[in-house]
Amino acid sequence: MRSGSRSSRALLYAACFAVTLVVLVPLYIAVTGGAKGMGQLLSEPLGLPVPFMVTQYSDLLLGKVGTYWRALANSSLVAGASVAIELLVCAGAAFALARLRFRLNSALYNYFLLGLLFPLAVCILPLYLQIRGLGLLNRYWGVILPQVAFQIPLQVLLLRGFFRSIPKELEDATEIDGYGPLGFLWYMVLPLSTPILATSGVLTLVVSWNNFFLPLLVFNSNAKFTLPMGVMDFMGEHMTGWNLVLGYLTLAMIPAVLLFIFAQKYIVAGLTGGAVKG
Amino acid sequence: MRRIACLIGLLVLLPGLALFAAPVKFSFWHIGVNDPDKSFYQSVVDGYLKLHPNVTIDMTILENEAFKAKTSTLMQSGDPPDVFQSWGGGLMSTYAAAGLLRDISKEVLGTAWGGSMAPGVLGVYQYNGKQYGMPYDMGAVSFWYNKDLLAKVGYTTFPATWPDLLKLVSKLKAAGITPIAVGAGDKWPAHFWWSYLAIRLGGKPIFQNVLSGKGKGFNDPAFVKAGQLLLDLANLKPFQDGFLAATWPDQAGFIGDGKAAFHLMGQWSPSAESAYSVSKKGILDKEGMAPFPSVPGGVGKATDAFGGGNGFAIGKNAPDEAVDFLKFLTNKENNSRYAATGNIIPTVKGADVSLKDPNARMVKGLVDKAGYYQLYLDQFFPPAVGGVVNDSVQAILAGTQTPAQAAAAIQTAYDENK
Amino acid sequence: MKTNARTAALPTLLLLIGPAFILFTMLVVVPVVQAAVYSLYRWNGMGPLTAFRGLQNFVTLFTNATFQKAVWHNVLIVIVSLGIEIPLALGLALIIGRSDFPLAVFFRTFFFLPYVLSEVITGVLWQFIYHPQYGLVKAIVSFISPSAPSPVLLGNPHITLWVIMIVIVWKYFGFHMTILIAGLQDIPEELREAARIDGASNGQVNRYITIPLLRTTLQISVFFSIIGSFQVFDVVWAMGKGDPVNAAETMVTYLYKFGIQRLNIGLGSAVAVTIFAVCLVFSVFYQRTLMREER
Repeated sequence: MRSGSRSSRALLYAACFAVTLVVLVPLYIAVTGGAKGMGQLLSEPLGLPVPFMVTQYSDLLLGKVGTYWRALANSSLVAGASVAIELLVCAGAAFALARLRFRLNSALYNYFLLGLLFPLAVCILPLYLQIRGLGLLNRYWGVILPQVAFQIPLQVLLLRGFFRSIPKELEDATEIDGYGPLGFLWYMVLPLSTPILATSGVLTLVVSWNNFFLPLLVFNSNAKFTLPMGVMDFMGEHMTGWNLVLGYLTLAMIPAVLLFIFAQKYIVAGLTGGAVKG
Repeated sequence: MRRIACLIGLLVLLPGLALFAAPVKFSFWHIGVNDPDKSFYQSVVDGYLKLHPNVTIDMTILENEAFKAKTSTLMQSGDPPDVFQSWGGGLMSTYAAAGLLRDISKEVLGTAWGGSMAPGVLGVYQYNGKQYGMPYDMGAVSFWYNKDLLAKVGYTTFPATWPDLLKLVSKLKAAGITPIAVGAGDKWPAHFWWSYLAIRLGGKPIFQNVLSGKGKGFNDPAFVKAGQLLLDLANLKPFQDGFLAATWPDQAGFIGDGKAAFHLMGQWSPSAESAYSVSKKGILDKEGMAPFPSVPGGVGKATDAFGGGNGFAIGKNAPDEAVDFLKFLTNKENNSRYAATGNIIPTVKGADVSLKDPNARMVKGLVDKAGYYQLYLDQFFPPAVGGVVNDSVQAILAGTQTPAQAAAAIQTAYDENK
Repeated sequence: MKTNARTAALPTLLLLIGPAFILFTMLVVVPVVQAAVYSLYRWNGMGPLTAFRGLQNFVTLFTNATFQKAVWHNVLIVIVSLGIEIPLALGLALIIGRSDFPLAVFFRTFFFLPYVLSEVITGVLWQFIYHPQYGLVKAIVSFISPSAPSPVLLGNPHITLWVIMIVIVWKYFGFHMTILIAGLQDIPEELREAARIDGASNGQVNRYITIPLLRTTLQISVFFSIIGSFQVFDVVWAMGKGDPVNAAETMVTYLYKFGIQRLNIGLGSAVAVTIFAVCLVFSVFYQRTLMREER
C-alpha cells in the first residue's frame, strides 16, 4: 500500500470502527430493548435479550398495542403524494428556470431561494391559519401541499443545476425535430434526468417521512396520525414502559433504514451533484 | 276530546322526534389515555349512542401535554372542538373572552343540572357570570405517601407541620430512601409545592390582593417566603435524581415502584402510580394520604385547599346534542360510576357514596371542608402568567432565581397580561 | 457555464412555473409576510388583530434575558458545528474517501444512517440513553462504579445543552461527510499522487492540496451547517423542550414556547422575523465574501 505506515492505517481503521460503534450502539439498544422485559432492560441495556420477549414486538405489529400499521400507512400516503407532486411541480419550474430565457428568470430563481431561509416553525401559526382558511385542516392535502411548498427552494436549486448541464446540442436536435421546449423537456430532459429526479424524490421522501410538526398541527383525528406522531403519542401513553417505547421506535425506524439502504446511492448522488455544482 | 288530545300530543312530540331523528355529529376530546379513564369514557359514549342512535361522536384521545399543545392551536384557528377537556379558570376564560365557547348558562343555571353540583364548583367553569363548561371532578392536592417506607424511619402518620416534614425528609435521606418524587421537568407538579406553601403562609387575602391589585401582589412577603421555604427544602436534596427533567409519569412511576417515599399530587394519583410504574402494580394498600401540613407563622387556615378538577368545556359551534352529551356524562349515575373507579372526586351531590376508597373519601372531605379553595395557579391565570409561575418555581428549584426574583417575575407577567 | 436558453412563450412558462409559484407563494411567502405583520401587534391568536404595538415586541424580545440566552445557545451550536462536527466529517471523509480504503462503502453507509432517522425518533432514543434511572449512560456508570450516583444529564441545567449537542453531531456528521466525500472525488487523484511521489506525507498532501481544493464543498457544508444551527428545533424540543430553566433554549424553541404556547403570537412572530433576518443577513454576507475571494 502506498500511503502511510501500517500502524497509522490501523489507527485510522480503529477510529472508523469506533465511530461506527457510536452510531450503531443506540440503534442496537432500540432493537434489542424492544424485546426485553423492563427488568432486563434496566439491568443490562447492552446485553442480548434473553428471554426474547417476542410478544412485545408481536403485540406492536398486531396492533394490540399502539397503532403502528395505521401510522405507517398514513406516513406512506402522505410521503408518496408529496413526492409525486413535488417532482411534477419542481421539475417544471426548474426546467423553465434553467433553459428558458425570460425577463423574470433570475428574479424568480432568487425568489424561490429565499425559501431556504425559513424553517417551518417560523411561519407555523400563519401557515396553520392559511391551511384552515383553505379548508384543509385534518385532511391529507393539508400536510402534503405545505410540505411540497417548503421543499420547492431546495429541489428547484438541485434540479436546475442538473438541467443547466444538459448540452445545447440535444436541445437543438429536438428543435430540429420540431419540438418546442415542452417536447424537449418531456422527450429528452426527463429521461436523461432520472438519477437526479430519483434523488430529488428521495430527499423529499425523507423530509416528509420524518416531518412531525406540520402533521401535529394539521391532523386532529388519531386515525390520520403519521409515524412520528405515532411515536410521540405512544411515548405519551407508555412513557415509563421504555421497553415498549424502544420496540415502537425500532419498528418506526425500519422503513427509514430500508429506504436508506436501497436509495443511498441517489441521496448521495443528489447531495453531492446538486449541492456542490448548483 | 281524546282525538284532540292525541293530536296535540303528536304535535308536541313530532318536533322532539324530528330533533332526535336527524343525524348529528360532534367531536369529543379527552385526555384519558389510560384506564380507568379510557374505559369509562368509552362506556359513556357507548351509553349515549345507544340512547341516541342518530348521533355520531368523533372521539380524540390525547395525552396531557399533547392535548395542551393541540388545543392551543385549534383555539387560535377559531375552530374549537365541541366537547373538550378543560380545567376551567383563566385559560378557559381566555377562550370565552375570545368568543370561542358556547354559553350554556341557559341549560345549567337555575336548572336541575346546575343544582346537582355545589355553586363553588360550578363557578370554576364560569366567566363573567356565564357558564361555559361543567366539571365532573373537583378534588384537592394532598400528600400521597408510602406507609411502608415511612414506617421504616419510624413514622406511622404523616407530619402535620412543615418543620416535621423537613425532619422526615432528613430521616429518609439518612436511611438511604429517596424522600420525594417530583416531575419538575413538566413543571406543574413542582408549582403545587410553592402554591400550597403560599396558601398556608398568606391564605386567601394574598390571592385576593393579587386579583384586586391591592398590596404588593405576588411580591407580598408570603409569596417570597413560600419560595424561600421551598428552596430550603430543595437544599436538603430530597428529590430523585434528574428531577429537573423528570416528567409527571416519571414521578408517578417512581412512587408506584416504591422508589420514593411521598409526593404532592392530585386525586388521580393512585391509579397513575400503578399505570406508570414498571411493575404496573403500584403500592396498593400501602398508600396513605395526608393533607398539606401547617406552616408556623402562617395566617392561612389549615382547611384552605389547593387543587382543581377536571371537566369539559363546550365549543362555540357545538350542537345541542353535545350539550346534552355533557349533561349525560355528568349525571349522577355516570358520575358515581366514575367515582367508584377511585380516580376522581365526584362533583355531583350524592355521587360520593360510591367512593369506596378511604383515601378518596378523605380527599372529598378536604374539599368539602375548605373555606377557601384555590385553583391550580397555572390554570387559574391565563397561560402567559401560568407559564411564568411554572418557570419560576423550576428556577427556584434549579437555583437560577431567588425566591424574591421568582415572585417579581410572576408579578411582572401578571401586570403585562392584565 | 453558458446558459442554454431560449426565449419562452407565456403559456408554456405559466404551465411550467405556475404551480410551483402558486404553492410557494401561498403556503410559504404569504405566511411569512403575515408573521411579519403579526409581529407588530399584541395578539393571542384568537379574534381580530386590534392591539397595534409597532416595534414594541422586538424591544421586549431583545431585552429579554431568556431570548438572549437562546441566541447565545444558537451561537454555541454554530461553534460546535464548525469546530467539531465539520472537522470530524472532514477527517472521516479524508480517511474513507480514499479509493483504496477497505470497507469504505460499509463505513459510509453507517455514518450516514443517523441522518435518515427522524428527529423525533432520535430525540426519544437519546432520552432513553440519557435517562438517569433507566438509561445506557447510567448502566455504564453503574458497571464501572456501582456506588456512584446516577448521572443526571438532561436534567442538569449546566450540561444539558452539551449533551444535546452530542446528539446533534451524531445525527448530522454523516451528512456533511457525504458531501465532502463527493467533493473529494472531484479532485483528480493525479494531483495527490504527484505530491506523494515528490515525498509529501499524507498529512502534507491533505493540508496543501486536498483541503484547499475542497474549498467550495467546505463552503457549502459550512453554509448548511450554520443555517441549520440557527433553525434547530425538533431534536432540542424532543429532548426536554429547551428546559430545565431554558438551559437548552434556542430561538425556535423560544418561539414555540413563549410565542405559541403562551398565546403571545406577536412575540412569537417577532422571533420568526428575527430568525429570518439573521439567516438573510448571513446568507448575503457569506455570498459576498465568497464571491469576492473567488475573484
